Amino acid sequence: MRTSGFGSIQRKSIIFFIIAGSFALLAFRLFQMQIINHEEYDEKSASNSIKAIEQTPLRGVFLDRNGEVIVSNIPAYTLRIIPADYDRKLNRILENVLDVDSGYINRILYNNKIYSKYIPVRIKRGIDFKTVSWLEENSEFLPGVDYIVEMQRGYPDGIMGSHMFGYTKEISPEQLQKENEYYEPGDYVGNNGIEKAYEKYLRGEKGYNYILVDSRRKEIGRFKNGDADLASVKGNDLVLGIDADVQRAGEEAFKGYRGAFVAIEPKTGEVLGLGSFPDYDLNAFSYVTSREFLNKLYSDEDKPLFNRATMSMKPPGSTFKIMEAVAALNLGVINTSYTYYCGGGFTYGRFFKCDGVHGSMNVIHAIEKSCNTFFYNLIYKIGIDNWHNYALKFGFAQKTGIDIGEESKGFIPSAKYYEKIYGPNWPRSIMASLGIGQGEVSITPVQLAKYVSLIANDGVTYTPHIVKGYLDNKTKDFIPFKFEKIDIGVDKKVFDIVKEGMFLVVNGSGTAGRIRSKDIQIAGKTGTAQNPHGKDHALFIGFAPFDNPQIAVAVVVENVGFGATYAAPIAKKLIEAYLLKDKTKKDEQNKYEQKLHQNIIGASLAN
Amino acid sequence: MRIDYKLQDKFDLGIFIPCLLLFGIGLAAIYSSTVHHPTASGNFDRQLIWGIAAFIVFFVTYSIPISSFRVMAIPLYLLSLGLLMAVLVMGRQISGAKSWLDLGSVGFQPSEMAKIGTILVVASFLSRSNTNIESFKDIVITLIIGLVPVGLILLEPDMGTALVFIGIIITMIFWKGISLFGLFIVLSPGFVAISSLFGVYYFVASLVIISVALFVFKKDIFFSGSIFALNLGAGFFADYVYNVLSPHQQNRIKSFIDPMADPLGAGYNAIQARVAIGSGGFWGKGFLAGNQTQLQFIPEQWTDFIYCVIGEELGFIGSFITLILFLVLFLKILKVASSSKDEFLSLVSVGILAVYFVHLMVNIGMTVGIMPVIGIPLPFVSYGGSSLMVNMFMLGIVANVYRTRKNYT
Repeated sequence: MRTSGFGSIQRKSIIFFIIAGSFALLAFRLFQMQIINHEEYDEKSASNSIKAIEQTPLRGVFLDRNGEVIVSNIPAYTLRIIPADYDRKLNRILENVLDVDSGYINRILYNNKIYSKYIPVRIKRGIDFKTVSWLEENSEFLPGVDYIVEMQRGYPDGIMGSHMFGYTKEISPEQLQKENEYYEPGDYVGNNGIEKAYEKYLRGEKGYNYILVDSRRKEIGRFKNGDADLASVKGNDLVLGIDADVQRAGEEAFKGYRGAFVAIEPKTGEVLGLGSFPDYDLNAFSYVTSREFLNKLYSDEDKPLFNRATMSMKPPGSTFKIMEAVAALNLGVINTSYTYYCGGGFTYGRFFKCDGVHGSMNVIHAIEKSCNTFFYNLIYKIGIDNWHNYALKFGFAQKTGIDIGEESKGFIPSAKYYEKIYGPNWPRSIMASLGIGQGEVSITPVQLAKYVSLIANDGVTYTPHIVKGYLDNKTKDFIPFKFEKIDIGVDKKVFDIVKEGMFLVVNGSGTAGRIRSKDIQIAGKTGTAQNPHGKDHALFIGFAPFDNPQIAVAVVVENVGFGATYAAPIAKKLIEAYLLKDKTKKDEQNKYEQKLHQNIIGASLAN
Repeated sequence: MRIDYKLQDKFDLGIFIPCLLLFGIGLAAIYSSTVHHPTASGNFDRQLIWGIAAFIVFFVTYSIPISSFRVMAIPLYLLSLGLLMAVLVMGRQISGAKSWLDLGSVGFQPSEMAKIGTILVVASFLSRSNTNIESFKDIVITLIIGLVPVGLILLEPDMGTALVFIGIIITMIFWKGISLFGLFIVLSPGFVAISSLFGVYYFVASLVIISVALFVFKKDIFFSGSIFALNLGAGFFADYVYNVLSPHQQNRIKSFIDPMADPLGAGYNAIQARVAIGSGGFWGKGFLAGNQTQLQFIPEQWTDFIYCVIGEELGFIGSFITLILFLVLFLKILKVASSSKDEFLSLVSVGILAVYFVHLMVNIGMTVGIMPVIGIPLPFVSYGGSSLMVNMFMLGIVANVYRTRKNYT
């Protein structure tokens, strides 16, 4: 046998081992890929060829308490770019046509770089019809540019509802990380207001169309002929307690003013209207929000993005006197025969002024005239602890629990608070101004509205809420949400007394005589919150009709002066809008028909 | 039993049956990958016809006098060199390489024929009684015989096939009995050349390794210096060749180093191939049920990426059995090569083994991601007439060598 030269045993063995080793390597590699890492490859393979096309569900719409659509979905055009096919030389011309700053497209494309370049990127939502026509005409010169019809929020009723409704916004990476089970990059979610608070009801269920794609991502058919597809389910429609007429009246009345209003149905706690002013146009958020627009909103010193209805804290002024009267009457410290003499002021350590010289009067007339002297005295009679407790009973210094967004607590000082600051011998003269709702007391408009609801409905109401319930998208049944009942446990007789005073405020010789109405019996209380930084804030709380309250309102107008002059007339408009519907309806008839028409267009395109 | 014994004595079923089964597996995979394809759905029928022709070629080659191969060596070699030159002038370009020659309606790759020609000529040169494999002159002659077709093929450019030729020459020189140092001289330029493609540092490092090896072999300074210079030249030459390569081939080399760098570009096939095989799992997704295959994720899967079809649809079982069939075939050929008493035929057999082996390693290696994507077919399995004909012709030679193994003393 040959040993070392031609075709020797050793050489045969070397070739044998090279072959055997190579085969072992290949076999090992197969084992590794097909058995050990099989799952990983299997997943890749499945996602490779079966592509799920997400079907964005329609968002639920908002209906007002009368079934009117106040937030709807309207079709709008969105311009998209498929980066793989797109030529960036087109940036300039597109940016000109879209009327956006140069670099806009590159910026968006850059932000979407992490996704496959075959996935279309939304460049601008809500492009106008002229732009769409231009795209159509020039489509052959615009590779990788297309447009789709998407549903966006529309506000067919002309109601702003800026802070209450809120807007949707592309999901942030942080939220995406937390809620990645439902959401995907590019999804829109409620960012504030009802849109955020009821996101889970509104968003619906995503649908998926499964298509087979080949290696070029070209669609080559439906997976299982579409049997596996999941239709999207529209979100639930929300039924709001809002009355479109009240809301509209409030928004119109507040034009040119800063402040807030909240109207509540006292028996149910349903919010009939809520506004914060200045407001802003939510339509601007339906589309890609322009930078200038956002900057303007942020830098505006009137802070239009700030929800004054739930966040702004002001002293309640004289509106707080009702609370004090209720406390005194309920504690038995005074009754209606108790009188106090007003000689133009009150002395406790120092002199505290009244607005007039009211003479001797009982609690009813003290409310009617908003006599400071009477209430300076009264707080000393009930003591700061009782005063503090009753304020808390009415829900001050705590969140009302209204179902939208952020809310301030406000502040009600207590003996403890003053002890902390001044020691056990804190100057009791501080209490005098608390007695007329000034000083360190601060409340929010929504607290004020809850307060007046409690008064109107004799100490019983529900947590204020804007949304009553929803229409189940499958059964179409109305499913009400449950809200907490509030009963402050004060005798009805006590409320009868203070309400009489409030009736006289409007209908007697009180401070709000100017809003007296022959159609509706309104009761209320004016207030003026002292403002060290400028003109006083005007406040008014009221309810109507007097004998069967259906609407309770709180109005705060900032930096204008007396409550009677500015806040009370707005409250009257809200009350009239709600209670004199038939009369105002006729004026609105034309508007309504127009709106109905729009809804029908929206609905047919949505299907 | 007697008849069976006689049959086995003349006709090695261990060669024929694996090859038949591999062809069958290939047909099934071609059917699966083309049945829903808009333009390639006729490939199954075509391959079947080629197959019948190829088996006829096999039996003819098996039957002809064994001396014919020595006779046809030089004419075949020269003819294929002529055709390789012709193809550069008038060849048909497919995916970046001019490797096809049109003969009437039938496409034909001269490089396939050149494999046989080169094997036969190298074998016949090495088996001359006065050839000394340790002499510098004879090594150079052998290398020139082998490297002329390699050069022509690189000009097409067809890297995969060039690699096959290099495999053939090295294997045959080795089989002839070259010493370790001789092999080192032959192999080291290739090592340096490949290293140079990875960059300057690798190039320098490979030169350092060569220097150390030269030191260990303890040859005289002048000789060692010449070898070193040769290696240096090889490095620069490789760099030159790399730059001559078509961009799509350069990309393939780059994408091997990091396929994810350009997942939709050159690395695409490599990734999709792995996904196809890996997703097959143990039992596979079933015949005609592989979505990677059926949705044509890999272009022209019936040719170079045929193993993916097997891996995806027939799973580990199918791809492992395919490997085993090749292993049986290769060991049988090795046995034929070592048991043949004729040096020429033994060298031819081992050269043929080298062809199959390099094809298999490069082809399956690239589909499982341990080799760059270099397009060469899987013998007997991939679709393609000229490759199948030549493979069966070569197997016919091996079978003939087996048949006549006792005729020489």
